[in-house]
Amino acid sequence: MAGPSTHPLIETMTQRVLLCDGGMGTQLIARGLSPGESAERWNLDRPDDVRAIHRAYRAAGCDLLTTNTFQGTTTALAQHGAARDVDAINRAAASLAREVADGAWVLGDVGPFGGFLEPLGETSAQELRDIFHRQIAALIEGGADAIVVETMSDHAESRIAIQTARQIADLPVLATFAFQPAGSGIYRTMMGVSVPDAITAAIEAGAAAVGANCGTTLGLDDYRRLAGQLLEAAGPTPVMLQPNAGSPEMVDGTLIHPAGAEEMADLARDLAAMGLRIIGGCCGTTPDHLRAMGQAIAARA
Amino acid sequence: MRGTDTLDALTAAIEHGRRDEAVALMRAAVAAGEPPRKMLDALAAGMADVGRRFSNEQAFIPEVLTAARAMKRSMAVLEPVLVDAGIRPEFTAVIGTVQGDLHDIGKNLVAMMWKGSNYAVVDLGTNVSPETFIEAAGDYGADVIGLSSLMTTTLPAMQRTVRALRCAGLKARIIVGGAPVTSSFARRIGADGYAKDAAAVVRETRRLMPAG
Repeated sequence: MAGPSTHPLIETMTQRVLLCDGGMGTQLIARGLSPGESAERWNLDRPDDVRAIHRAYRAAGCDLLTTNTFQGTTTALAQHGAARDVDAINRAAASLAREVADGAWVLGDVGPFGGFLEPLGETSAQELRDIFHRQIAALIEGGADAIVVETMSDHAESRIAIQTARQIADLPVLATFAFQPAGSGIYRTMMGVSVPDAITAAIEAGAAAVGANCGTTLGLDDYRRLAGQLLEAAGPTPVMLQPNAGSPEMVDGTLIHPAGAEEMADLARDLAAMGLRIIGGCCGTTPDHLRAMGQAIAARA
Repeated sequence: MRGTDTLDALTAAIEHGRRDEAVALMRAAVAAGEPPRKMLDALAAGMADVGRRFSNEQAFIPEVLTAARAMKRSMAVLEPVLVDAGIRPEFTAVIGTVQGDLHDIGKNLVAMMWKGSNYAVVDLGTNVSPETFIEAAGDYGADVIGLSSLMTTTLPAMQRTVRALRCAGLKARIIVGGAPVTSSFARRIGADGYAKDAAAVVRETRRLMPAG
């Protein structure tokens, strides 16, 4: 069995910059997902819409398609009364992406479980391992090629998710954190975890690539600065970044992610030049943004 | 230890989330017959201090949660004394995360900050409809209503809730906050106050409703 160091995904990312996909939630909302509705239920109830979003990102040139399972743990699904469908939802999500992958890799998406670990919260490390195990096993059964542990704030939680994934299967695990400005040009997660602490924890837990996604009140220049700090913290480990299309603003009662495709393409070009190996998008990014970003990356290669 | 030293130490123990020490100091202060109002102020000061560091990005969610836990346990020691002294909660606050939004961390932090300032807090939870806000505000005689939202997609629900509360003719002041909420948005939707984070909410409540 090939170890993750020789996994084709990892090999390819040493040869060229990979384009990850962009926002899922904002695409689902554009297709009618209501606030408070479970996005993950759509894997069972509206499979055609989910598939169409994956297909659009693939057509835009994305090398990595992320499953619609950000809140797909039992605990997160329980908020919508959908906990008992955890296996079916995650399996279906992975196969929907798989069906339209057309040569792209499918990343099984794992987000925060929705609570706090002991002693801050009431969930033990073993309970959390079980929570992540359930989701990740179903994602792999459904056909995920790799796992991405994303939008994490607590490095202990991220570490448990990464280790659990690594124990289930010999697949690459990518790990990203959500940062916010923390004064004097540095960034921390909302739990106060610094960039070096987050990145070191993820690497030690066995992540094949590490970085950031989403975040709070980050403009495009914040992402450039953050990328530098990620690279410094990661050393030889490949770095990935999935920025939002700028920090959201309300304009005339409508929510706008201010960055257009051209600005995001400029950002992607800069990030690739800095040495990032996986570049994608998060909230507010669309297939159009990703297409422009992919072209910008390819043009400089 | 002199009385003021005990209370200063209590404030510091709350701020740094040293729960057992805070409870012991609270008991000592009660045993020494410290004025109830002063003991209450010492608790609130501890929460305000950690809140200030939170606003300045020097403290984060874990620090605020552990401070709140120390405050809560100390408050349990103090409560019977307050009752005996006839000191009642200063205001009644009703709080919830707006409809369509299931996030509760920010809302919980605000509730703790209010509790630490001796407000009676009615927590309606997450995904709260405008009707539920109106009903609870009426039932509990709310002086202030806190609306929280984490997701940009639920800002319209916040706007609807403010409008519904106004139409219902409630006198309570409305404070809005949460990651995507800005002061200009708060003004535009007709809220009375805006708090950029959980620490700012106590300052904002004081501004809107000066004590005494």
